[in-house]
Amino acid sequence: MATQHSRAAARFMIAPSVILLLAWMLIPLGMTLWFSFLRYNLLMPGANPFVGFENYAYFLSDPTFITSLINTLLLVGGVLIITVVGGIGLAVLLDQPMWGTGIVRIMVISPFFVMPTVSALVWKNMFMNPVNGLFAYVAEVLGVPAFDFLTQAPLASIIGIVSWQWLPFATLILLTAMQSLDSEQLEAAEMDGASALSRFWYIKLPHLARAITVVVLIQTIFLLSIFAEILVTTNGGPGVASTNLTYLVYAESLLRFDVGTGSAGGVVAIILANIVAIFLMRMIGKNLDA
Amino acid sequence: MGRITLERVQKKFGDVEVIPPLDLTIEDGEFVVFVGPSGCGKSTLLRLIAGLEDVSGGEIRIDGTAATDLPPAKRGLAMVFQSYALYPHMSVRKNIAFPLKMAGMDEEERRRRVDRAAEVLNLTDYLDRRPGQLSGGQRQRVAIGRAIVREPAAFLFDEPLSNLDAALRVGMRLEISELHERLKTTMIYVTHDQVEAMTMADKIVVLRAGNIEQVGSPIDLYRRPRNLFVAGFIGSPKMNIVGGDLASRHDAAHIGVRPEHLDIVEDGGTFSGKVTVSEHLGSDTFFHVAVPGLDEPMTVRAGGEVGLRHGDTIHLAPQSHQIHRFDDNGLRIA
Ligand SMILES: Nc1ncnc2c1ncn2[C@@H]1O[C@H](COP(=O)(O)OP(=O)(O)O)[C@@H](O)[C@H]1O
Ligand SMILES: [Mg+2]
Repeated sequence: MATQHSRAAARFMIAPSVILLLAWMLIPLGMTLWFSFLRYNLLMPGANPFVGFENYAYFLSDPTFITSLINTLLLVGGVLIITVVGGIGLAVLLDQPMWGTGIVRIMVISPFFVMPTVSALVWKNMFMNPVNGLFAYVAEVLGVPAFDFLTQAPLASIIGIVSWQWLPFATLILLTAMQSLDSEQLEAAEMDGASALSRFWYIKLPHLARAITVVVLIQTIFLLSIFAEILVTTNGGPGVASTNLTYLVYAESLLRFDVGTGSAGGVVAIILANIVAIFLMRMIGKNLDA
Repeated sequence: MGRITLERVQKKFGDVEVIPPLDLTIEDGEFVVFVGPSGCGKSTLLRLIAGLEDVSGGEIRIDGTAATDLPPAKRGLAMVFQSYALYPHMSVRKNIAFPLKMAGMDEEERRRRVDRAAEVLNLTDYLDRRPGQLSGGQRQRVAIGRAIVREPAAFLFDEPLSNLDAALRVGMRLEISELHERLKTTMIYVTHDQVEAMTMADKIVVLRAGNIEQVGSPIDLYRRPRNLFVAGFIGSPKMNIVGGDLASRHDAAHIGVRPEHLDIVEDGGTFSGKVTVSEHLGSDTFFHVAVPGLDEPMTVRAGGEVGLRHGDTIHLAPQSHQIHRFDDNGLRIA
């Protein structure tokens, strides 16, 4: 029974973890905010004077900022489209009764267990390499010139790599949702004269709406901060063709040792993430209401 | 039209034969109830007719044409599922219109038919709601609405009332019976509740372990149960079955007397015992009587005003022409 007394005791007892979590979040955030208002360059030691919004002005007026913003959105959007569409397709296939479903399911899920750096390196060196890569070999067999993915289509290539990593996640969530569909609904639709395609469109897809929303929201959070895949494949290049916001912040603060501008970029990235989150919740959040 | 015939229809799941070969004819316009204990294969039989399961052998004919290999949609039957199986993301209107939409009917005609069905089923005020916003009884009516708009050759119901509370169940029972009176369409109704079977059916099919035990009108089954199983299953409370010496006196292995055919007499009588439990329903009272020498207590129906109590001694005399006699194999004698 939640009496007044036991509730007070409960609050008292969960206080340490709440305080720890708050400190865990608030201290780095506060420090980032504070640094973003300082002129703070590791190459120029000495005083770190307070400069107001100078860092922000510098970061936002940089033409690279707009490019990286667009790249970020393209990366997130592209991966979302590929993983959701591909995930639905795979979920439909894996939901069919067939021989060896167990093994196939584990294989489909396995890319998720590979570390981002490792998978990006595997793609870079074993598949996309214009000389030794598998794709180059296929091109040679077909008699067409090899395509240098990471140079000629760097962002698209990264979208491909990241999609490969996240497809299992989407598939897993959507497959679970698919299996929770009441089979009587499908049978009712069958008796109502719905073809397999109609059953997919009118029954299965609406049933998946909530799961798709979850996939989109969770993936967006992670995809906004994609970093390792860019670092080990293109280093944001050629030029800034595959630089996203996260990578730009890294470039500012750790390649140019400008902690102030880097922090300002970090704060901008947080704001952008929130804008995207609000936008998404407006658009698809209603699917989460029971 | 909706005359359905099953010839040697059989169903196996793997090696398990759930429905041994079985013959059955359902006449056009008939209200047929499949009744039997849980797990006896009622749903399976209904699903075979619907086409949701493939037969392992035999032929199904609908209006004379072979339907055994037709897909469900082509059989012209409509089904109401136990869970209602409404489409949760569609409004009531869209749910009811779904089969029409799938048939490619134009918007105008769809609207007209849905409105008419909604009127018949008292759903007009709920057409824009989602199934999740409806009560159990209303959902049930939507499921029925979705079935009737198609104007099928026959309706199939799988325990449609089992998710409703007792009061609603009685109401829906009447509504379905009225619907049958109005539409005069063949209906096949599955239930494990013999009261539903007795009150609704033109013809009852009693199933046990996939076998048809008896087919007949409710009153036939009540008056002349073909074997012990049907005798025990049809009628509420259950028929009292007695074996041993008492039965031999009637040249039978078992005799059965329904609770309503036992008279309470001052003394003498065939059975004497002590009242263990009395159930007062107002109009009737049921006494459970422990009779020495019998394994199970006997049940007797008396008027509502009879006031016997726990432990009272009671003498019972069966009405002589209401004694059912069964042989060693449980089959009815004469
Ligand atoms: N898909 C299936 N696979 C294997 N066995 C089944 C399947 N469906 C039903 N059965 C079995 O068939 C028997 C009859 O089931 P069912 O027709 O649902 O009974 P009822 O509707 O009379 O309660 C049960 O013993 C059940 O376990
Ligand atoms: Mg059943």
